[in-house]
Amino acid sequence: MGGFVDGFGVVLEPANLLYCLIGVVIGMLIGVLPGLGPAATIAILLPITYGVEPVSAIIMLAGIFYGAQYGGTITSVLLRLPGEASSVVTVFDGHALAKQGRAGTALGIAAIGSFIGGTVSIIGLTLLAPVVASVALDFGPPEYAALSLFGVLLVATVGNGSRLKAVIAAGFGLLLATVGRDTFTGASRFTFDSLNLADGIDFVPIAMGLFGLGEILYNLEERHHKVQAPAAVANVWPSRADLRQARGAIGRGSVIGFVLGVLPGGGATLSSLVAYAVEKRRAKEPERFGRGAVEGVAAPETANNAAATSSFIPLLTLGIPANATMALMFGALLIQGIAPGPQLVTEHPDLFWGVINSMYLGNILLLIMSIPLVGVFVKILKVRPAVLAPITVLITLLGVYTVANQVFDMFLVIVFGVLGYLMKKFGFEPGPLVLAFVLGSVMETAVRQSLLIFGGNPMGFFTRPISGTVLVALIIVLTLPAVRVLVRRRKERELV
Amino acid sequence: MLFKLNRQVLVMAVSASVLLATGCGGVKTTSTGGEGDYPTGNIQMSVGASPGGSTDLITRAIAEGVGKELGVSVPVVNKPGANGALNAKELQAAKPDGYKIAVQNASLFTITPLAVSANEVVKLDDFDLLGGISQDDYVLIAPVGSGYKTIADLKKAGKNIKYGTTGVGTGAQLASALTFKQAGIPATDVPFDGGAPALTALLGSQVDVATIQVGDSIEQIKAKKVVPLAVFSGERIKFLPDVPTAKEQGYDVVVSQYRFLTAPKGTPDNVKTKLADAAKKTYATDAYKKFNDAHCLTPIEVSPDEVRKILDGYATKYKGQLEQFGISLAAKK
Repeated sequence: MGGFVDGFGVVLEPANLLYCLIGVVIGMLIGVLPGLGPAATIAILLPITYGVEPVSAIIMLAGIFYGAQYGGTITSVLLRLPGEASSVVTVFDGHALAKQGRAGTALGIAAIGSFIGGTVSIIGLTLLAPVVASVALDFGPPEYAALSLFGVLLVATVGNGSRLKAVIAAGFGLLLATVGRDTFTGASRFTFDSLNLADGIDFVPIAMGLFGLGEILYNLEERHHKVQAPAAVANVWPSRADLRQARGAIGRGSVIGFVLGVLPGGGATLSSLVAYAVEKRRAKEPERFGRGAVEGVAAPETANNAAATSSFIPLLTLGIPANATMALMFGALLIQGIAPGPQLVTEHPDLFWGVINSMYLGNILLLIMSIPLVGVFVKILKVRPAVLAPITVLITLLGVYTVANQVFDMFLVIVFGVLGYLMKKFGFEPGPLVLAFVLGSVMETAVRQSLLIFGGNPMGFFTRPISGTVLVALIIVLTLPAVRVLVRRRKERELV
Repeated sequence: MLFKLNRQVLVMAVSASVLLATGCGGVKTTSTGGEGDYPTGNIQMSVGASPGGSTDLITRAIAEGVGKELGVSVPVVNKPGANGALNAKELQAAKPDGYKIAVQNASLFTITPLAVSANEVVKLDDFDLLGGISQDDYVLIAPVGSGYKTIADLKKAGKNIKYGTTGVGTGAQLASALTFKQAGIPATDVPFDGGAPALTALLGSQVDVATIQVGDSIEQIKAKKVVPLAVFSGERIKFLPDVPTAKEQGYDVVVSQYRFLTAPKGTPDNVKTKLADAAKKTYATDAYKKFNDAHCLTPIEVSPDEVRKILDGYATKYKGQLEQFGISLAAKK
């Protein structure tokens, strides 16, 4: 624990405080811009870090990473533009709240949830990092296969409309996930000989098109039916009742996010989805969800921030970068002559604890910044749709372009925009489609890797403790309603 | 009257500035045609991969040096897709004026064509080469508890070996497939999306062995979490001096990733010389040497002809070996 205390000494050096502040401010700003992610930003800033102390550099880069998670909420709630897969779920209730003039409530709850989720996760990181890291290694392809199957099945329950339509949308999402080069045989699937589709479709154009552009197109049509006034912006800060309502969701979201965030890949997305589904299941009136439930914002936002923090665990304890952003931080450390590996804690305790402790501070800074900013951002909704809509379209197209610097993606977003409009018109929700798309590609890879490992025997999934438990639980949950119906029918027959 | 005069002055000023602007444009066009004053503007370096990967980091390291050397900005633009083929095709179509260049991977030309469909294949002849950059080596690793120390140990295990690789059409896949086939070890290829997930799976003993880049695994090797069984370079590498090559262990498997600097076909010679010189000066800096060491990259800063010879040699060799041993990288197609 000596290292832990010394770590605070490192963080509280004025220079490091400043780098932490710079990091979280940049992070928050780029989080607000959809498309431009922390990975691209860090890549650009990398040369600047060469001349800086290693600890300061990583403190700043880490700040960008988790700061972006805060910023991402803002566009999801206000403009229905989820910039990351992990904030798709936030759109459901966040944007509904904004439409009711309660954007401030949504953003406020999200900021508080993010703060608590992030902080709980850092405490977990401080106390449990090595233990958690070794457990994470027990998660192989079979466990991912089981978890992502669980996620895909949850997708159908998060929607609010017809269950059948949600399943159809999710099915289409799974189909979209298969586009691109088969990662096992190299064969091209649904690419129509276009190199642009060789790696499949990126998440950003799909989400931006279906949610953002689709909504704008739909509103254009709506305007002809009724005059749409911008929603009156009521209270800017969540009330005490709101906070009380969100309390449980934030608590559970923190734990779910911390645990699932350790898993590289879809951890953050899965955690936001699971946290949301848990709250909806626990709620006395689940029909409130999707129509502006405060817990519906609190749960996924808490979980995705907690997950963002715990995704540092594989990098700091094992030396394995879990995503592109972590890979860049790995690179930044290498340049500084520090190789992140299993020995990082013992060889560079000042760096290890300095970075972890800077996150406590960074989260506090982000919360403090969020309070006045929520008031500013909420004013965006006072802008007339005639002005706001074209700007949103512009930001969307620009953001999509920055993902891979391809004009092709801008056309994709238009195609998905039209699809989003048609879906909304015919009562389909984009949420199940987008989430199934994200989880579908994880699931396909994991299932096929597992089958290779098992030598083609699917029973292998059931003989491993973790994947077996998840799958058996899934089967029970799925068959229970059917069994209940059968039992009820038999009773009815007996009564007759 | 005064108003009228003002308007005339304004019109004249506007037309003058328009003339000036077009005039400037004209001058610029001739200068970018490859005359002596190159470069007059930014040189864009594109990367056929996402930020954070080896190719991206190498490009950024070179971009910084070349920019300083030539006194212009060298922005790096990521254009990921199709293992780099998307970026390659864009570069191929770009104007050959030295304002768009890229670091490219040998595997795209020597190995990927053995695994993917014809429309995704890119040819080396469609580019002007500026010179070689570095060699990135692969190492076969096993978890520390497995007891495996050499390739022969894998054979003695007498079971089907599940090996992780960094993906279909990569050097890791080729090197492993060739080794196991030559050694007569029954083995199953489990592709992962890059080095990090393959390493994670190995550390968790989800696979028996894995072939990944040296830079991705060196810390695990130093920490004795994984055991290196063989490197796939022609000779031992300085980052792992005690690890024998596959060749030393009796298998004719030499697979490395090479990276080299390319420009669109038809780039003027003086422009190519300037770029190559700037790159050479960058390679000589301490900062760049430190970068190479940190990422376990071995410099192969050779001439364009040399690059072509190396690549052509490997392309022919790999194709022949795959046919000889009846291996298909695009399995079960």
